[in-house]
Amino acid sequence: MPTAGAKEAALVQRLAAGDRAAFEQVYHRHNTSLVRVATGVVRNRATAEEVAQETWVAVLKSISGFEGRSSLASWIFSILINKARSRAKREGRIVSFDGAGEDDNLAAAFDGRGRWKNMPELWETLTPERILAGRSVMAHVNAAIEALPPGQRSVIILRAQQGLDADDVCAILGISEGNMRVLLHRARLAVRTALDGLM
Amino acid sequence: MLSCQDVATRASALIDGELGTWQTLQMRLHLAMCKGCHRFIGQMQTTRDLTESLPAADAQDEDNEDRISAILSQLYEEKPDSG
Ligand SMILES: [Zn+2]
Repeated sequence: MPTAGAKEAALVQRLAAGDRAAFEQVYHRHNTSLVRVATGVVRNRATAEEVAQETWVAVLKSISGFEGRSSLASWIFSILINKARSRAKREGRIVSFDGAGEDDNLAAAFDGRGRWKNMPELWETLTPERILAGRSVMAHVNAAIEALPPGQRSVIILRAQQGLDADDVCAILGISEGNMRVLLHRARLAVRTALDGLM
Repeated sequence: MLSCQDVATRASALIDGELGTWQTLQMRLHLAMCKGCHRFIGQMQTTRDLTESLPAADAQDEDNEDRISAILSQLYEEKPDSG
C-alpha cells in the first residue's frame, strides 16, 4: 500500500498533467473550507468564492513548482490566505489571525473565586445516535464556526476539519504554536456554548 | 489547588494530551471531586469530536461542475500555448 506521501506525489503529478479527475478530487476535498476561511478574511461570501477560484487557478498554474516541503493542502491554503489578505488590504483592512484583544466567552461563568456560577449540564441528549440522525446539530456547529473571528475560525477549520499539521497551520497564519492552541480552545468554547443552547 | 476556572482554561490542553504529568494529575484530582468540571470536560470532548467529524467537503453541489469548468477554462485562456 502506498504511503500518504507517495499518494500525494502521484496526485500532484496528475494535477500537473492536467488530469481533470484529479483536480475534481482535490477541489471537492478543500473548496468548502477554502471559501469558509476566506469569508473570515474578506467578510463577504461572494468575494470569498472569487478568492477561492483565483486560488485554484494559481494552484494549477504553479503546481509543477510544488516541491512537497509542506502538504499539498497546506500549500493551497497558504496561497488562499495570501490572496484573501491582499484583497482585504485593497479594502483598507489589515487582517491578522493572532486573536489579540479577543476574549473567551467563559469568564462570566465563574464567581470571584473561580467557581461555576451555574453547574454545567450533562449533555446526555447529545448521543452519537442523535448526532447522526439530526443534521441540525452539525448545522449549529457550522453556524457557530461561521460566527468566529478570523483567527479562531481559520484554526478550527484548518486543524479540525482539514486535519493540517500544527506547524503548517502556524506557518500559514503567521502565529505561534501557543497562540494557535489558545485560538483552538476559544473556538471550541464558542461552539460548546452554541451546542449548550440546544440542550 | 486549581479553581474551576483554571480547569476550564486548561480543558483543551487536557483533552488534547498536551499537559505534563504533574498538571494532568492536578486536573484529574479536581475532576474527581468536582461534578461541574467533570461535565464541562465531557462537553468539550463532545465539541472537539463534533468539530473534527464535520464533513470537510460539500455534498456534491450542482454548481461545482460549472465552477471547475470555469477554473479550467480560465487557466487555458491565460496559457493558450500550454497543454
Ligand atoms: Zn471544578
